Amino acid sequence: MSTTTVTAAPPRTRTQAHWRPRLVSAELLKLRKRRGLVISALALTILPMVIAYIVLLSLHAANPGKHGPAGGLANLSGSMDVLTTLSTVAAILVGATLGAGDLGSGVFRELVITGRSRIALFAARVPAGLGLVLPIVGAGFAITATGSTVFAGSLEAPSASLLVESALWLGLVTAVSLVLALGVSSVLGSRGTTIGIVLGWQLVLTPVLVQIKGLGSLRDGLLGAATYRLAPAALFNGTVVPMSLLAAALVIVAWIAIPLAAGGWRTYTRDA
Amino acid sequence: MPGRRLVLEDDSNILSEDDEESLPRPKTARAPAPSVMTIASQTGGPMNPQKRTKRQDGGSAGFVVETSALTKRFGERIAVDNVELRIPRGSAFGYLGPNGAGKTTLIRMLLGLTKASAGKMRLLGRPVPEERGVALARVGAIVEEPRFHGHLTGRENLSVIAAAREPEAHDRIDAALARVGLSQRANERVKRYSLGMRQRLGVARSLLADPELLILDEPTNGLDPAGIHEFRDMIRGFVAEGRTVLLSSHLLDEVEKICDEVAIVDRGQIVLQGSIADLAAGGKQTILIATSDEDQAIGILSAHRGVASAAREPEGIRVTLTADSSGAQDDISRRLVLAGLAIRRFEPARISLEQRFLEITSRLEEAA
Repeated sequence: MSTTTVTAAPPRTRTQAHWRPRLVSAELLKLRKRRGLVISALALTILPMVIAYIVLLSLHAANPGKHGPAGGLANLSGSMDVLTTLSTVAAILVGATLGAGDLGSGVFRELVITGRSRIALFAARVPAGLGLVLPIVGAGFAITATGSTVFAGSLEAPSASLLVESALWLGLVTAVSLVLALGVSSVLGSRGTTIGIVLGWQLVLTPVLVQIKGLGSLRDGLLGAATYRLAPAALFNGTVVPMSLLAAALVIVAWIAIPLAAGGWRTYTRDA
Repeated sequence: MPGRRLVLEDDSNILSEDDEESLPRPKTARAPAPSVMTIASQTGGPMNPQKRTKRQDGGSAGFVVETSALTKRFGERIAVDNVELRIPRGSAFGYLGPNGAGKTTLIRMLLGLTKASAGKMRLLGRPVPEERGVALARVGAIVEEPRFHGHLTGRENLSVIAAAREPEAHDRIDAALARVGLSQRANERVKRYSLGMRQRLGVARSLLADPELLILDEPTNGLDPAGIHEFRDMIRGFVAEGRTVLLSSHLLDEVEKICDEVAIVDRGQIVLQGSIADLAAGGKQTILIATSDEDQAIGILSAHRGVASAAREPEGIRVTLTADSSGAQDDISRRLVLAGLAIRRFEPARISLEQRFLEITSRLEEAA
């Protein structure tokens, strides 16, 4: 016979703390233990950058006359274009998993039974998702930034301010994509459907709609148009949809606030 | 049809204000000083028996669950119909009914998983949903099949739920795993667990709340006979610790073996509520008598004013006493002996809960 003593303190009322990092840590645990998801995110962000610079370095080493240095501003622009697209995909995968993971496994019901506010349960998913996806995307960016600077050779190397600006912009695009997928999956309750809808919207429909000038000012409301308005000018030449910075910022805020509100509302009202 | 509800309550089970002094107290209302729960566990045992000090925390209500005219409608269909339920503290309470009777729906409303269409509820003395957060802090529950993240280990699954509870819940994880006999398998992924292990992990998860009330909805579904036996022992252990267990089941035998009190529900309504002993007796005092001369005995019994009916049965004479029959049993035995009859059997007749249940439901069907 062994004896274990457990001290049971009185429960804290829910008014003492509506949001706690413990809940965020738990969400992060659920995410990072999904090996397939983490491997996919790594494969979408870090791996392409490593491969890209290995290829560029190899080409330059094999034939310096035909292939320029692997680094420099132009190569940063190209790799950032790829990284932005793939980071968006990674963020959508993570966001969709966050929003529908508990529902799909049936654990949402078990969480509700604890008495914890449903809004607190939902809110904890945002920092948890960012906590997983931003470091991975950041690592991918670090490879790009390092490669474009170290291997610039005779080419113009990106400035520190451009790198900082690029990092912040990439972080913004990733975060907004994650929040969008989180909101949609919390509403739909389905990971697969969310991935299909949001990926299709962001990577297929939006680039097409942005190009249709006949849509006029309706194009201003597209998330893709607004985020590219804030992109570093040195990386992406020309704005597809002309709009003011304030308008772009407001559109992005709306694309963050509306999915969060919808996801929070659905989490609050859904039968568990 | 609330008027159809029959209530049989043993006076000894109705708690007075004085009784509350000796009752386990809800922690929600106690003084800030922590109470100590001592757990004695047998290492390696599948279900570790535990001893726990009686709860000393404060509280007032004698019922852990009280509902008033609780109703849930799904469109035109009424799943829970004007339910008036009172579950006494410190008991194993069976919520018994056939599949589709509305048992799970009632539990889901109590736990805030779905909204009530009408009526009021109190959980551990707190009105819900208004104060569900505080009330549920001391409630553990398994609703239908316990669900987990298959990609996480048993311990990690408990950790996820503990994060949603008070900080102390994390400190209870090891003890909870030990109690259900899962310490050795706690670091395996849940997708490798058997159904029985998942059920046990579900109980461990419920214990993270250090619950005053455990709500178990069909907890033995899918368990083998040995698992069912272990579950029964565990539930009785919880009650012995001063916890209240609400056991929802369609298995009459299971409820009869585990519970002290029972409510029988049919088509969303509670049709009978009381102690198992009272329900099994059918609310009437019935005795079974066997003598050396049954014809003579029936003559004596039929003439007795305390006897409502006396019927010959294979095992003797079933005697139903009248409502005001105090002392009748002594008088009957005296008269039979004075008549020169040898008494071979003289004992309270007991029908099974199953018989009683069938009797009630068939009566309802006839009324409908």
